[in-house]
Amino acid sequence: MEVKKLEIRAKIIKAIREFFWHNKFIETDTPIMVAHPGMEPYLDPFKTQFKSERGETQDMYLITSPEYAMKRLLASGFKNIFQITHTFRNKEVSATHNPEFAMLEWYRTNADYKDIMRDTENMIFDVCRRVFKKSKIKYQGVEIDLKPPFERLSVVEAFKKYAGVDKKTLEDEKLLKVIVIKKGYSKSKTMDYSDAFFLIFLNEIERKLGAKKPVFLYDYPLCMAALSKQSKKDKKYAERFELYIAGLELANAFSELIDAKEQRVRLEDEQEMRRRLKKEVYSIDEKFISALEYMSESGGIALGVDRLVMLFTDSTKIDDIMFCGEKFIKE
Amino acid sequence: MQTSDFRKGNAVKYNGETWLISDFQFVNPGKGTAFTRTKLKNIKTGKALEVSFKSGESIEEADLQYRKCQYMYNDGTDYNFMDNKTYDQFTITKDLVAEYADLMVDNSEVTLVFIDGVPCSIQMPPKLDFKVIAAPPGEKGDTATGGTKPVTIETGATVNVPLFIKEGDTIRINTETHAYVERVQQK
Repeated sequence: MEVKKLEIRAKIIKAIREFFWHNKFIETDTPIMVAHPGMEPYLDPFKTQFKSERGETQDMYLITSPEYAMKRLLASGFKNIFQITHTFRNKEVSATHNPEFAMLEWYRTNADYKDIMRDTENMIFDVCRRVFKKSKIKYQGVEIDLKPPFERLSVVEAFKKYAGVDKKTLEDEKLLKVIVIKKGYSKSKTMDYSDAFFLIFLNEIERKLGAKKPVFLYDYPLCMAALSKQSKKDKKYAERFELYIAGLELANAFSELIDAKEQRVRLEDEQEMRRRLKKEVYSIDEKFISALEYMSESGGIALGVDRLVMLFTDSTKIDDIMFCGEKFIKE
Repeated sequence: MQTSDFRKGNAVKYNGETWLISDFQFVNPGKGTAFTRTKLKNIKTGKALEVSFKSGESIEEADLQYRKCQYMYNDGTDYNFMDNKTYDQFTITKDLVAEYADLMVDNSEVTLVFIDGVPCSIQMPPKLDFKVIAAPPGEKGDTATGGTKPVTIETGATVNVPLFIKEGDTIRINTETHAYVERVQQK
């Protein structure tokens, strides 16, 4: 914890708020403790319990993202909304992870992921100018130019450019696994498509992303769509992007899936996956599903505020930029 | 050995060579399973390599042997040690003791780590005490440093400490992070 860095943190958060208010977004404030946590099989929500005076109990969870609630707000008539909130993910501790962290989410109606890319580059550039009066930052000795437009690189292009894996191989589970085994990243027979994808991505691609200029990595294979829409151009891909700066992942964004039926199927698949992983299986948030029926086309994003502060303060440890962060067990 | 058993200083066989684990970190790319990003150091060449494994993957472990030795001196490139019982002498190149080089006090006892009979690393207790040999007076209200100041310890290394530390104090240091832990009361 360093006082100077924390002052910068406060200024960054103020500048983010000013950017969104200036662009006519409404700031929302949805609950941190909810009955239906995020269903993602690989996230572990913290669990707690509500007790009534009569002794009835109800399981409650700390949010892993305010996404479900914010989409309900869109369905009820809000157009453009943003929120800075604390979110919680159990088991996640590292130099760039803290179990409690600050998340910025925003949603734009009548928009898709390309509009969100523009918001993102404008917001980061604006914050940099407001707080530091410049358009470039230095992170770990490397100068990064934050002037829009940021680089746009599809997942297919990134695999070709940095790992020499072509589109045909990327789309073929068997061929991709052969490459992973040949390169020595795994011997496992239980590896699935996304394991193979990430072993190549983490070992050969991620570190090189956003070295001199931030990059939007876009159009993920459909099986990694999460809550995003299928691409109109190529049905094997989903309209999702992540933002990388200096090899650090800062944000994850979607053209939001608004097909309630498809959303239910995906949540049921995730329930099944949780069952297989022997994790608690949550019931489906029906209010969220029915909200989708009233939602217009929209784009949305979740951005890690702490990581943005790390970049702007040239920090390599998330602990350095948190106000009185708790100590969690570390190896 | 599974990725969850990784510890700094463990050794693994990877792609036909033996490597020391110098660091590892949990990574979760968000919408997928977890991975362990591992920093490896080649025991022969000192070359660094970063590999991400799927968490839960089994990696072949290399056998380590340990011997208590006395650290004698370094000649700029090599660090020299002696086993005080057998009088055997060993040298290790600078690259392989890199992260501990700042904390080595002449004639102190350290544990040498051997792989297949070859010394390749040293092991230090998690915390060690050092004498402060130079400390500038701290200034109250110095917000730029958040209430710390740099001092020099007996090995010549610089450590950030609270403002109340004075020259001649003994301080405890975390040998892994090189961070100040506490002031040690002198008897």
